[in-house]
Amino acid sequence: MERKIGVYICECGPNIAEKVDIDKVIDAVSSIDGVAVAEKFKLLCSSDGKKFLTDQIKKQGLTHLVISACSPKDHEKTFMEVCENAGINPYLFQLANIREQCAWVTEDKAEATKKAIRLTKAAIKRVRYHTSLEKKEIEGIPDVLVIGGGIAGIEASLQLVSSDRKIYLVEKTSSLGGLITNFEKIYPGMGSGSSIIKQKIQDVNKKENIKVFLNSEVEEVIGFFGNFEVKIKKITEEGEIAEFNVGAVVLATGSTLFDPKKTPQYGYGKFDDVLTSLEFEKMNLSGEISLKTGKPPKSAAIVHCVGRNEKGYCSEICCMYSLKFVRYLKDKLPNIKVSNFYSDLCIPGKSHQKFYEQTKGNNVNFVRSSEIEITKKGEKLDINYKDETGGKNNIPVDMVILAPAIEPTSDAPKLAEITSISQGNGGFFAEEHEKINPVSTSTEGVYIVGSDQGPKDIPATMIQAEAATGKILSSLIPGRKIEPEVKTSQISESLCIGCKLCLSVCSYGAITFDETKKISVVNEVICRGCGNCVAACPSGAASIKHFNFNQLYQEIMEAVQ
Amino acid sequence: MSKLKDNLKSKGAVISAKTGTKESIIDFLKKAMDKGVFDAVLIPMRVPAGDSFAYVLIKDKSLLKDSFPLPPVMSVQGAKAVSSLTRLGKGNMKIATVMRPCETRATIELTKLGQTNLENITLISMDCPGVLPISDFLDDPNKGMKLFNDAAKKWDDEIMRPVCQICDKSSMVAGDIHIGTLGAKKDTFFIISNSQKGNDALEKLDIKLKENIDSWQAKIKDISEEKQKKRKKAHNDLKSEIGGLDNLLDTFSRCINCHNCMKVCPICYCRLCYFDSDKVKHPSEDYLQRAESKGSIRFLPDTLLFQTGRMMHMSHSCVSCGACEDACPVSIPVAQIFSMIADETQGLFDYVSGRDIEEPLPLVAYKEEELHEMEDAND
Repeated sequence: MERKIGVYICECGPNIAEKVDIDKVIDAVSSIDGVAVAEKFKLLCSSDGKKFLTDQIKKQGLTHLVISACSPKDHEKTFMEVCENAGINPYLFQLANIREQCAWVTEDKAEATKKAIRLTKAAIKRVRYHTSLEKKEIEGIPDVLVIGGGIAGIEASLQLVSSDRKIYLVEKTSSLGGLITNFEKIYPGMGSGSSIIKQKIQDVNKKENIKVFLNSEVEEVIGFFGNFEVKIKKITEEGEIAEFNVGAVVLATGSTLFDPKKTPQYGYGKFDDVLTSLEFEKMNLSGEISLKTGKPPKSAAIVHCVGRNEKGYCSEICCMYSLKFVRYLKDKLPNIKVSNFYSDLCIPGKSHQKFYEQTKGNNVNFVRSSEIEITKKGEKLDINYKDETGGKNNIPVDMVILAPAIEPTSDAPKLAEITSISQGNGGFFAEEHEKINPVSTSTEGVYIVGSDQGPKDIPATMIQAEAATGKILSSLIPGRKIEPEVKTSQISESLCIGCKLCLSVCSYGAITFDETKKISVVNEVICRGCGNCVAACPSGAASIKHFNFNQLYQEIMEAVQ
Repeated sequence: MSKLKDNLKSKGAVISAKTGTKESIIDFLKKAMDKGVFDAVLIPMRVPAGDSFAYVLIKDKSLLKDSFPLPPVMSVQGAKAVSSLTRLGKGNMKIATVMRPCETRATIELTKLGQTNLENITLISMDCPGVLPISDFLDDPNKGMKLFNDAAKKWDDEIMRPVCQICDKSSMVAGDIHIGTLGAKKDTFFIISNSQKGNDALEKLDIKLKENIDSWQAKIKDISEEKQKKRKKAHNDLKSEIGGLDNLLDTFSRCINCHNCMKVCPICYCRLCYFDSDKVKHPSEDYLQRAESKGSIRFLPDTLLFQTGRMMHMSHSCVSCGACEDACPVSIPVAQIFSMIADETQGLFDYVSGRDIEEPLPLVAYKEEELHEMEDAND
């Protein structure tokens, strides 16, 4: 087939035009074999620009399109749509970035022009080796698996459920609710935590389309966005298994506390009346705050930041709930003396500062301290510490409440493996991008919400649950087909030697091993085209569509010659 | 291969070798076959013409007497033999392989790369005095045999291949069972186990691992320390000789593009080498274009690219066995160069090829903190 390549240079207003002599670029590429037309335009991404391109493709009978303009991140999609609408395959197009990679970074106009010529020529060379790629469509299942029956999982389930969308809510314990069921009150409004969650559990139970699995664990999640096969198992002797298919997965497995026994200086497990924050919440919920002897404490210490150095991060919520504990103590024992030992107070947000100011005073003091060691001195627990000036001090108290760091639950590694996502700092599930994709993960269709992704309070957890449900609701619409990635990897059967290096570097679980043929096989629906397998494969058996060896080689050789 | 704790490896057995070390090792293998511990043995044997050695899978134990546990040359890298035997499956026979430490280590690397199946294999290695350059041996095999035997007895490496002279892992225990001849009293050798599989095999042979092996350990420590010094010096000398693109081009300029080094390399396991594939063959206008931009272009093209590409592909697993250098018809010191690059590549990842079957390949082991030294180099 005769190639008729159209080359269009975008002025991008003054962005490119001022730094690159566009007419020179046009001169340099017009006579290249196969180039039917080379022209410039003021702003190709504008509606005028798109109309101009569409008319050109039709009028000139173009078979391939090269545009020298901005970064593909900005407008590759825009121009691919133009191609599609004008009747040429969108993959018979190449965008050369002469703005970010040239005009904006090259001071000298002559140099910038030379570089723009090279980049444009390289794109023209590359596009000759492009082949048409066709879109695929698969049936998407709208149903969702939610793992974890705490506030995050419950909220996600309630937001997602509808008459044409089933939710499978899997909880490993014998009841829904999670940690919040232990909280008599929640800061800063000091409303009742347990009544909020009770209402939500009732809502869940009323929904026919939310199927709750208690005492159950997820065993297997295989597949891809739109169609995951799920296996769950009852944590009983019989271990019955249920199987179903979903389109997306929400991980809402929450967090647990750092074990203070790992920091023996706090005396946890060694002395009576040294409690963790969760033990204290439970004691408070029971209605009575008392010592092991049954007597009420006359003084208490709250020790912040337990395990912060060991874990290497601030757990965000401990300062605030410690202030809440002061309120608990003062509510039930108005004359109690409370000392807070902290290293840095973390009380951000619009209402927390006020909450702090209303809490301090009246026999409540805050001691900035370090090197805390708790010993037993007679009947009392003695808090030995170094104060801000470096001087050694001690305060004897009746009760100690520790605020240990928040860490992921012990089954986080297993769940990360099952759902093919990664664990980041501190072992928390890793988001796809901390700023721009905070609830997505490296596996499309698997979302993370709540404190399994990092320490967070209830409002932040609710925000994430709603964010993830928004993502799912907008992408998994009942009856609508989904389009998997087109630029996928493929592995040559005749070249693969079966070393499985590709399997170990695939982040998406898209490669399986054919034990009979002893070769690796790519599932093109799961593959996201990241190229890890191509880089790892020593014999070039793995290649990626639209970024194959020859396309890259031709482009590079043209650019560097 | 489930590993043993270090304290279990500090003991061994002392085996009597009154009839000669080679004969006693063969006797040990024969007994193991008698008792059904192994159904077959993969071991070197002298070829009928007498001028070389080959790996042979012996099923008839009476043939063991002609085997050669420690031949004077490395005609085939043993790992290639193990891979060709087990790549498509473990088979239903228990097989012992008798190889040098570098061959055993290459086998372990290939196992990590899915190219062998060790389930039914027991890897036996032994202290290695080095091997002769294959061309020296072929000049006069009988003389070569005698020279090798004399040198091996005195543990004198002067006539061995240059890469053997700087080998600091000639007694590395990486397989299941190791035969130690160094530091042993006259007419004895040590047997050391390195895995549960090794323990089980020796137990069935009533070989108790209760004896002190301090004298072996002391001796190999001395040798390996001395060789490490030699190795470092040799690599430094080599670096000044071949460092920089121009020197590197000069070193490889006599390469005739036969790719023998790749063909005999145990780690080069690809079905089709990338550099033999169509991917590096281009239309003539491409070459003309390259000639135009540089003034001229050498044919066959990409000679240095093949060497550096191969280096990049396999230096993290290279065991410095020297097979490549033996195979080079134009005497490029390939193995010495590759051993230097291998030390550096592996050093970056605290990795030693073939040291431990459970140690993951650097390429697939993700560490958040690594390669800072490379960042510094760029600053």
